[in-house]
Amino acid sequence: MLESYIPIIIILIISVLFAVVNVNLSSLLGPSRPNKEKLSTYESGIEPVGTAHERFSVKFYMVAVLFILFDIEVVFLYPWAVSFIGLDQLKMMYSFISVSVFIIILLVGYIYVIRKGALNWD
Amino acid sequence: MSAELFLMMRFEILLIATALILLICSLIFRGDRRAKIIPIAITLFFINVIVGFLPIETGEMFGGMFRTSALNIFFKNILNAGVFIIFLQSAGWLGKNHNEFHYPAEYFLIIISSLVGMDFMISSGDFLMLFLGLELATIPIAALVASDIHKNKSAEGGVKLILSAALSSGILLFGISILYATTGTVYFNEIFKLVEYDKLQILSFIFIFTGIAFKISIVPFHLWTADVYEGAPVNITSYLSVISKASAVLILMIILYRVFGQIVYIWSAVIYVTAILTMTIGNLFAIRQKNLKRYLAFSSIAQAGFILLGVICGTAVGLSSVIYFLLIYIFSNLGAFGVVAIVSNATGKEEMDDYNGFYKTNPKLSFAMMLSLFSLAGIPPVAGFFGKFFLFTAAAKQGYYLLVFIAVVNATISLYYYLLIVKAMFINENENPIEKINSDFYAKAGLVLCVIGIIFIGFFGAIFDYINSISLTL
Repeated sequence: MLESYIPIIIILIISVLFAVVNVNLSSLLGPSRPNKEKLSTYESGIEPVGTAHERFSVKFYMVAVLFILFDIEVVFLYPWAVSFIGLDQLKMMYSFISVSVFIIILLVGYIYVIRKGALNWD
Repeated sequence: MSAELFLMMRFEILLIATALILLICSLIFRGDRRAKIIPIAITLFFINVIVGFLPIETGEMFGGMFRTSALNIFFKNILNAGVFIIFLQSAGWLGKNHNEFHYPAEYFLIIISSLVGMDFMISSGDFLMLFLGLELATIPIAALVASDIHKNKSAEGGVKLILSAALSSGILLFGISILYATTGTVYFNEIFKLVEYDKLQILSFIFIFTGIAFKISIVPFHLWTADVYEGAPVNITSYLSVISKASAVLILMIILYRVFGQIVYIWSAVIYVTAILTMTIGNLFAIRQKNLKRYLAFSSIAQAGFILLGVICGTAVGLSSVIYFLLIYIFSNLGAFGVVAIVSNATGKEEMDDYNGFYKTNPKLSFAMMLSLFSLAGIPPVAGFFGKFFLFTAAAKQGYYLLVFIAVVNATISLYYYLLIVKAMFINENENPIEKINSDFYAKAGLVLCVIGIIFIGFFGAIFDYINSISLTL
């Protein structure tokens, strides 16, 4: 039974080698002329301000959690939408109703989130 | 697949519908009208409990991922009834105006979603469904444990619960992955045929057992229990110690019998040792406790040790005696927690010494408490005696005489500390005892249900016969 896992081990080895070899090769072969700007933290072209070790407002986490929730909804909807076309009349109705139930549940959750003020920034 | 097949998931669908209705209600009743959600939630859940007793088709769906059997359905009904009693008991606590916890709707929602997780876990036919259900059952409760936001202990309990739950889930998942690696399937029925005396499979059994032992708080995986139980609000503690534990015990039996049924020799040795440890350590620590919640926590650990006595048998009789014991345990423990909740809600007192002279001021409450404690200890007239009796006979039938002897010694030790509270209530003098408590209607109804259960389940032999007749459908 365990022999069937050998391909996974090979893939692991290849991926580790690929990462290690490439990173090291580029630092070995490429020219290295550092200056102050090059060594500073990358902030999309803006000069870095202060350290990153700060307390974050809990609102960021709220938005992140909500984003994941509704993102998953979309992830589920894509395969449904793709396979919807090939169905016959009865199954179309059936799958439409089941997905509607799924969306309504999330919609109630969404209304709840808005009414409780989870998305209010102030 | 036709739509009627979904009727097999009736319990889960109804619970989710209830949760959805409550969510909408919580948007309608806002601000000062929040408390109006309590009667709505209790009524809705009562309908759930009643509908649960209607007949339901048994079978499999989703290729064997989800299955219903007579025993599953019976157990879901027990859990429903237990949660209903907890809802009744928590109504007063939620309805108080100046309460730390201002979200009654969310309280019901979280418990219902946890119950949905348990129902899925009980009905699971493969490890993926089991794991999903287990997580859904555990994670929401951590939010409720930490809901007493002005108490540090509550937050500490919440963090401890979520950390230990995460650790145990990780161990369980590792066990599942090892089992998958050796057999190539996650379905119980297929794994059952492939499990043999393979070292890797035994390792995976140990991991899976450890993961579930955390949930049942079997010694040596019990260390989180006392702190979490003490920190949580009383009603959440009773949910953790009764509903959560009962469903975890059923899952343990499903895994032992339906997955590792071929290596009984291995797991009975593991359970033998843990049963002795759990009974003894739970009892010895319970003697020293002064706080009633901690005390009931250790008492519930000791009870888990007794339950393992039935699990070890591996027979239909052992199985049905465990289910029967769990049924009685739910009623007796909820009775004890109900009284503690009423007192803690009215006065904020949770220490054992506070109960001195409790009988003089609150005779009815102390009588209910006494009955529950007698039932937990297993004193003959009440149901707890029959539960323990069947467990011991089931184990003795399989020849575990030494184990039964140790269990009897432990039952005697437990008698001492259960009677300590009875003594405090009825005999000890106190200059300023807890004054007369006027509990609300819901709490009274919950206690009455518990007392009826404690007194009558023992005398209705038909219940045990029924459990025995369906026990082979596990």
